[in-house]
Amino acid sequence: MIPSSASSVPLEWGTHRPRRSGVLADLQEIVREQIDYHELLMTIARRDMLLRYKQTVMGFGWAIFMPVLNTIIFSVIFMRVAPLDTGMPYPVFAFAGLLPWNFFASSLRFSVTSLTGNVALVTKVYFPRELFPFSAVLVSLIDFAVAFTVLIAMMVYYRMGVTWAVFFLPVVVLVQVMFTAGIALLLSMANLFYRDVKYLFEIVLSLWMFATSVVYPIDRVGGRLAALLSLNPMTPIIDGYRAVLLRGTFPDAHAFGYAAAVSTLVLCVGWFAFHRSEFRFAENI
Amino acid sequence: MPKTSNAADPVVVFDGVWKKYRRGERNDSLRDLIPALARGVMGLGRHERERTMDVGENEFWAVQDVSFAVRPGEALGIIGPNGAGKSTVLKLLTKILKPTRGYCATRGRVGALIEVAAGFHPDLTGRENVFLQGAIMGMKRAEIARKLDEIVAFAGVEDFIDTQVKRYSSGMSARLGFSIAAHLDPDVLIIDEVLSVGDMPFQRRCVERMQEFKARGVAIIFVSHHLQAVVELCDTALYLHRSARALGPTVDVMAKYVESTERDRVLPRRGEIEIVKAQLLDARGIPVTAAEPGDELTLRVTYEAHRTISDLTFGFAAHRSTDRLVAYDSSVAGEELGLGTLEPGEQCVVDFAFRVNLARGQYHLACHVLHAPTWRHLSYLMPAGILTVRETRTYGGVANLELDAQVIERYRAGIEVRA
Repeated sequence: MIPSSASSVPLEWGTHRPRRSGVLADLQEIVREQIDYHELLMTIARRDMLLRYKQTVMGFGWAIFMPVLNTIIFSVIFMRVAPLDTGMPYPVFAFAGLLPWNFFASSLRFSVTSLTGNVALVTKVYFPRELFPFSAVLVSLIDFAVAFTVLIAMMVYYRMGVTWAVFFLPVVVLVQVMFTAGIALLLSMANLFYRDVKYLFEIVLSLWMFATSVVYPIDRVGGRLAALLSLNPMTPIIDGYRAVLLRGTFPDAHAFGYAAAVSTLVLCVGWFAFHRSEFRFAENI
Repeated sequence: MPKTSNAADPVVVFDGVWKKYRRGERNDSLRDLIPALARGVMGLGRHERERTMDVGENEFWAVQDVSFAVRPGEALGIIGPNGAGKSTVLKLLTKILKPTRGYCATRGRVGALIEVAAGFHPDLTGRENVFLQGAIMGMKRAEIARKLDEIVAFAGVEDFIDTQVKRYSSGMSARLGFSIAAHLDPDVLIIDEVLSVGDMPFQRRCVERMQEFKARGVAIIFVSHHLQAVVELCDTALYLHRSARALGPTVDVMAKYVESTERDRVLPRRGEIEIVKAQLLDARGIPVTAAEPGDELTLRVTYEAHRTISDLTFGFAAHRSTDRLVAYDSSVAGEELGLGTLEPGEQCVVDFAFRVNLARGQYHLACHVLHAPTWRHLSYLMPAGILTVRETRTYGGVANLELDAQVIERYRAGIEVRA
């Protein structure tokens, strides 16, 4: 029962062997794990999906209800109380902003507690823990798709046509998914170590919504604040949806390019940070 | 999965593993988060402090310098008291924890039965949970679908498979959890205290299943307080108490463990009569702790009376140490021994001579004194002695029936064949 010398052990064995540090080795591991565990991601997403609407009467109706209700509220404000010119029927403008924003917010809301809500799994079974926040994003994406039908219905109602620019929609969605997933990784991890995060996050999220062109065009804001607001990558993303769907144009190359770059960066940073502290989760949860 | 190594290579290796834990709560603040994240991203100065051998005031070693290896078809039992680090070792093996120092690895598919129903969600049905838990354990969806009926039948929950697991009894969900793991096709199977759940027939099926796995060449690591189960399944055992106290053939390790737990022996009750001393002697009167089947031994017990007392009955029993199975229990009346009344302060020494007709293993000898008319226990000593029986012929059981087999006749087509 004397262990053979470590050198006779094949290299691929070393689950805990001091890792060759380096971004490349990590990247390799991240990719390999995602390939090995892609089925599990689907299974966990299916579970989260089932659980989200289990024992609810409305089921998927909730995915539609929330953005619709918000659209009605903001339509009253910006059509009756303080009329706003958005260059298109305001309800469509608002809904097209609230829909991706809801996807963003609900992804984060579910991922922030996705690790701490699965203590039994995190402390008892090993698999890449990224799956939890990713599943939260995936399930919210399905809600997004469901509610998207309402947007189509509204576009039909207001007789709005689409142009070839609509084929750019997947790119807009992809950029948003990347940005959302990156933030989701960081938030779920941060909340595992510091439970303050889930409270702080709610405040930040509501501020963030009003710093984004969700229910009004943010370019109305001028001055020094405008410079600060232009750093927010969510604005070009949401404006990107409006451009490709409602205005029939491609998104502003400059702003959208910036958002895409930030999204890529956030996802990479989030993923690497997550991956590197993963092994401390079980002890700190 | 390509298997490049030969079958004799270990599939589980623990090499000088240390694990440090923190005691109490962390009181980090959110302020430390940003630098910690930055360090995590940059990979700079990663856990240098954690890697050192110094133990801070709020830290302790949960596992100290543990090494072992398990080859295909071998079963290693891990025994030790609560808090000895057994679960930590399993978590290190399953990649949930990372060792502070040292190296540990497993090769191939690892099936872990650490709290069998960890992946279960109470709001999902049995069927949904089978797919979820199966995927968590590393099964492909198609594989689970193929084995679903078998899994459900093994667990015996056919009628409730579309019922939410929160309506299951705890035994049912544990059985379903074990059943999923039992249908995994692992190279390494890690089992943590699962035999405590489920009813008798289910426990028997589990044991059979584990034997099957072992015969098929699966490396098994079995953690249990059910020592007899460890004896039956495992060839080698590790007695863990922070560090490895003993590692080797199960019988020897078990002997060490059993002896070490005897510090908390039942103290003789002070009363009318007390058992002051007990000694296990061989035929020549020399103290012994081990014997072979057929040996004549004597348990010499000294009693001291504190009051005038008569009508005593002296009991003698032998229990198998691993599960306290009563191998023998008998008593002798004082009258038979020609013992009348004992006066206060009087000591009497009784020899219990017996023959070791026992199978291999450890046995606890116990003795007690009864007041015959009232059937009241006056004093009890356990263990009065610990006996290790060494022999190599039997595989299990307690009684040595001195089996003697021989061929007496041989026939072929009705005609006797000369051997």
